[in-house]
Amino acid sequence: MDRQVDVVVVGGGSTGCGVVRDLARRGLDAVLVEKGNLTHGTTGRMHGLLHSGGRYAVSDQKSARECIEENRVLRDIAAHCVEETGGLFVKRPEDSEEYFQEKLEGCKACDIPVEVIDGEEARRREPYLARDVEKAIALPDGAVDPFRLCVSNAADAREHGARIETHAPVTDVLVEDGEVVGVEIEHETGPGKRVHREPGTTEEIRARHVVNATGAWAGNVGEMAGVDVEVRPSKGVMTVMNTRQVDTVINRCRPKGDADIIVPHETACILGTTDEEVDDPEDYPEEEWEVDLMIETLSELVPALEDARTLRSFWGVRPLYEPPGTGTEDPTDITRDYFLLDHGDRDDLPGMTTIVGGKLTTYRMMAESISDHVCDALGHEATCDTAEAPLPGSENPARMEALMDEFGLRSPVARRSGQRLGSRADDVLGEYDPNPIVCNCESVTRAEVQDAIGEAGSDLNAVRLRTRASMGNCQGGFCTHRIASELAEEYPEPVVRDAEDELYQERWKGQRHALWGEQLSQAMLNHLLHATTMNRDGDPANLDGEVDFGAFDAGADAGDAGVDGSGGETGTAAADGGRASDDAATDGGRADGDAATDGGRADDDAATDGGRADDDAATDGGRADDDAATDGGRASDDAATDGGR
Amino acid sequence: MTRHTDDDAEGAGRTNEASGGCGDCGCGEPSPGVPEAGRDEQPSVFVPDEGEIPETDAADAPDPTRADGAGAADRAATDGGVESASGGTDSTELDPDAYDPVDVFPGGDLDLREGADSCYKCTSCDTSCPVAEVDDEFPGPKFQGPEQWRLKRKDDHDIDESITSCSNCMRCDDACPSSVPLSQMHNEARGQFVERQMEKLSVEYVRNRILANYRTSASLASKFPRTASFAMNFGPARWAMEKVMGIPKERDFPEFATETFREWWKARGGAQVENPDKRVAYFHGCYSNYNTPEVGKAMVRVYEHFGYEVMVPPQKCSGTPMFANGMLDDARRHAETNVENLVEAIGDGADVIASCTSCSMSLRQEYPELFDLHGIEDVAEHTFEALEYLRIHEDLEGELDAAGGLDDERAFAYHAPCHARNQGLSRQAVETFRDVDGVKMEDVGDSCSGISGTYGWKEEKYEKSMEIGAEMFEHMEDAEGEVGMTECPTCAMQMEHGTGYEIEHPLQLLEDTLGA
Ligand SMILES: Cc1cc2nc3c(=O)[nH]c(=O)nc-3n(C[C@H](O)[C@H](O)[C@H](O)COP(=O)(O)OP(=O)(O)OC[C@H]3O[C@@H](n4cnc5c(N)ncnc54)[C@H](O)[C@@H]3O)c2cc1C
Ligand code: SF4
Ligand code: SF4
Repeated sequence: MDRQVDVVVVGGGSTGCGVVRDLARRGLDAVLVEKGNLTHGTTGRMHGLLHSGGRYAVSDQKSARECIEENRVLRDIAAHCVEETGGLFVKRPEDSEEYFQEKLEGCKACDIPVEVIDGEEARRREPYLARDVEKAIALPDGAVDPFRLCVSNAADAREHGARIETHAPVTDVLVEDGEVVGVEIEHETGPGKRVHREPGTTEEIRARHVVNATGAWAGNVGEMAGVDVEVRPSKGVMTVMNTRQVDTVINRCRPKGDADIIVPHETACILGTTDEEVDDPEDYPEEEWEVDLMIETLSELVPALEDARTLRSFWGVRPLYEPPGTGTEDPTDITRDYFLLDHGDRDDLPGMTTIVGGKLTTYRMMAESISDHVCDALGHEATCDTAEAPLPGSENPARMEALMDEFGLRSPVARRSGQRLGSRADDVLGEYDPNPIVCNCESVTRAEVQDAIGEAGSDLNAVRLRTRASMGNCQGGFCTHRIASELAEEYPEPVVRDAEDELYQERWKGQRHALWGEQLSQAMLNHLLHATTMNRDGDPANLDGEVDFGAFDAGADAGDAGVDGSGGETGTAAADGGRASDDAATDGGRADGDAATDGGRADDDAATDGGRADDDAATDGGRADDDAATDGGRASDDAATDGGR
Repeated sequence: MTRHTDDDAEGAGRTNEASGGCGDCGCGEPSPGVPEAGRDEQPSVFVPDEGEIPETDAADAPDPTRADGAGAADRAATDGGVESASGGTDSTELDPDAYDPVDVFPGGDLDLREGADSCYKCTSCDTSCPVAEVDDEFPGPKFQGPEQWRLKRKDDHDIDESITSCSNCMRCDDACPSSVPLSQMHNEARGQFVERQMEKLSVEYVRNRILANYRTSASLASKFPRTASFAMNFGPARWAMEKVMGIPKERDFPEFATETFREWWKARGGAQVENPDKRVAYFHGCYSNYNTPEVGKAMVRVYEHFGYEVMVPPQKCSGTPMFANGMLDDARRHAETNVENLVEAIGDGADVIASCTSCSMSLRQEYPELFDLHGIEDVAEHTFEALEYLRIHEDLEGELDAAGGLDDERAFAYHAPCHARNQGLSRQAVETFRDVDGVKMEDVGDSCSGISGTYGWKEEKYEKSMEIGAEMFEHMEDAEGEVGMTECPTCAMQMEHGTGYEIEHPLQLLEDTLGA
């Protein structure tokens, strides 16, 4: 515990991950500590736009230039995290022509390649664009997957000797003799991979330098060290559509405003956003008007959005910073530039540097400048190579035909896996044969899920971020249990259950903001399946005390079978049990067919499920019925209230 | 009404399928499976005949609004069949708010990703798919439809090959509680697959094209019906068909009638009843024309019995077999003729009547889902199945009662075709005849016959087809009747093939029981 490392980087967002990679590649001994999983903060809740710089071409040309520069770099080093969608700034009749020209000139001034196209051509490229869009500026915006980007940075750092600790919040900054000498962290479930129900521990990490890259939370960590960092967090909403109405980034060409951009992201489209200052980055209202605004305003650009299915909405907080005394009123006017605060110079507290602000697009550049600064402080000589060295996964593109042939994947599955895994595809997919699909909506196979479990432990949200499993239209209704059962080989049952609950809850959280139309039907179906069919609302395994499955297996004569089984209910249970096994048999039969398609494992599942269905039926007997009735009733009440939209 | 008694375009020699022989492709072989009927009249089944559409379309649909000049030519090249008489997407007359996926992409492809919005993954479709039940390699309609479409991006052009295993029975459409346009998705995906990914000279492609263009083969065969029926089922020829073409030797080719329906219609002098207030345009389809003209004749006699004036407009294949084989170009070409002539008939006050449930399905659902042709919605709206229409407009029960039934009791084993089920017609035959004296009608259950048009005609699918059909065969054996009954000609083939029963169409029984 007393060993001193060179640098501790606090915060596993894009900035922190970029910094730890850069430092590790320069030969420093670095540790990254993050309180949640990687991208837990703003990075996991951003819009996914790989800026071309167009958005800042009028208001902030320095940022615009940085964006286009880094945009080019990321296409190169992070090809598997970037989709080169291209972008359009579209002008509607009521939007100012003068601003359109300003935008055009601004882009040219910043070396952003542009092309002006008329409305016809814009609609030829994006057929769902409104018919009255007059013209557009086409430029190289793109889509970037923040999860994959951070994970790849962290993986590369680890390959270069760094240590990555997630679920390890910094609880104190160690200050000795007027100097920062390290941090104290709490391992929520012990060091290493997160595994539910492991006991927590604390650890002191002593370091020659601490980098505070906690974004909107930078003030908290500053406070632990006794310095003031004035971050002004500003929230923004993003609404996820079920399908891609556009395959190009669509921006509204007008001065700053809410709800002016649509970004295609993987299988979905994300609408955004708002900009409202909040007091606490952890606790701010998620308001319905924000979601309504997205759909209403953006359907002026893409009318189909009005009736399209929404999967969920989420909010992020921008870590806006301005030097003390600037006093900008409107958060949209606060600069999007990044700031490097050397606490030695600034607060007379050497040993710590804070980096705040900026954008994901420029994360690498920010990381380079702070790494330069840290190397300086430590007197370490090394050059930065992060602009040239490809991230793991982007060394060479995955060959789809090979994936289809070698691993027997159907073409859309191979395509998606190939895009997600990049050059790692061969290694990952080769591990499992047969390799059934675990998440159907996003076409995620067992091999990918197992690969992610290998990295993330029982943290299924981290698995989700790596693979996209459970991020499609069922929002986990049909796959959380399947994903969770992938844990069963390695982890005990209670861990699997906790992990499943956590993922399911997380999926529900975002869906609450999409409960009308089709997603409401989906949520109801999910609820009924989980509550009634899978009995997860009254699962005997979650009750206090052990369930005596053996008593049932021994038959009705063995006495009280169920948890609350009186004589009468045992009778019912037996009868139900009988029926359940018939069902199981039928299902088993069909599942067999599925099994072959999926690659064989479903066979086992069928068997296990068959078995389990028996047990459930037995323990539950009469009870399940009542629950179902109660819940059914309740759920529809909820539905009615929420469905008002 | 002699105007409609001319045989259709093809009979008059304007055979656009029959341009150029097999020599065009350089294979030098006579095409097995197509009867030796005037070598130079053989259809050019080996050569995808692009280039026909631009001519007509360019003439019919000049599009002044197109700015980029990419226009019609661009479309025709990749056309899955979406170019339209009304100018398609960019036409100014179109409702600016109508973002119909059918005319979204100028390239001619349909963008159906939006349809995935309605799917909530309940899996009812997979559960009711007869192919998924017997074919472990087939991932099922949920994957083929909403999942595959949702995963698609604009520039992705690869479709999973398994789409060719879907028989297009459309049971999944019927099963979906959420109105996901499954068969539309399958049809479009299959069209794109065949267009872009299928080896155009492969035996499979050629075989599928021949099966899909049944009408072409049938029209040739019917010129020499006896030779054709004999030659197609004659040992060595059958062997060659299986080996070279992948058509299973177990199947007997249908017999060709010595007189087609249209020949009969012409000979009889067309309509015998004139009635401007009650007119129907009969869409007989290929099978009633070439193979079972007795069904067509029954239709005419029954409708005339009720005082209808029957019109028989020029027509081509409804497209059903072409959809099932992803030959959307072919289907579209035929659809143009059909829609044009039917629109005219509708203009004359007629409703369109089909005796084949797949034909009516095609006109009602697939046409408007896949093609953007002038008047196509009208045709869809005015199309009915023959028995369905009478049940709506006539007092069938009363008439049948009055007619007094059959003297000699007859019992039937009735199978409802999948496509009838989709139109809500699965019970009509049973309901119509259950109270008729001397008729015993037993429904053999709701399983699929397994042939699904051309599906069961492919060697690699034969076993599956019979496996799917097993339940129906068994129930037919169990039923009292020794005569089968169904509205669908290919279901009829399968029923006959699996049981050896003779199969009739409800219209034939209606003719008998009414004494029409
Ligand atoms: C609505 C919205 C949309 C955006 N869209 C875009 C876009 O389209 N393109 C773009 O380029 N940029 C965009 N941004 C900006 C971009 O997301 C951020 O600039 C970037 O993600 C910031 O990353 P970060 O690493 O600095 O901060 P964060 O991602 O917030 O990382 C800080 C991390 O520190 C952790 N942490 C906090 N306290 C502690 C502690 N005590 N101990 C340990 N760890 C701690 C947090 O859990 C968090 O993971 C958007 C921002 C918002 C809010
Ligand atoms: S059309 Fe028939 S065979 Fe094809 S997927 Fe649907 S149910 Fe299955
Ligand atoms: S039946 Fe319809 S809603 Fe259900 S899974 Fe199939 S397509 Fe989706």
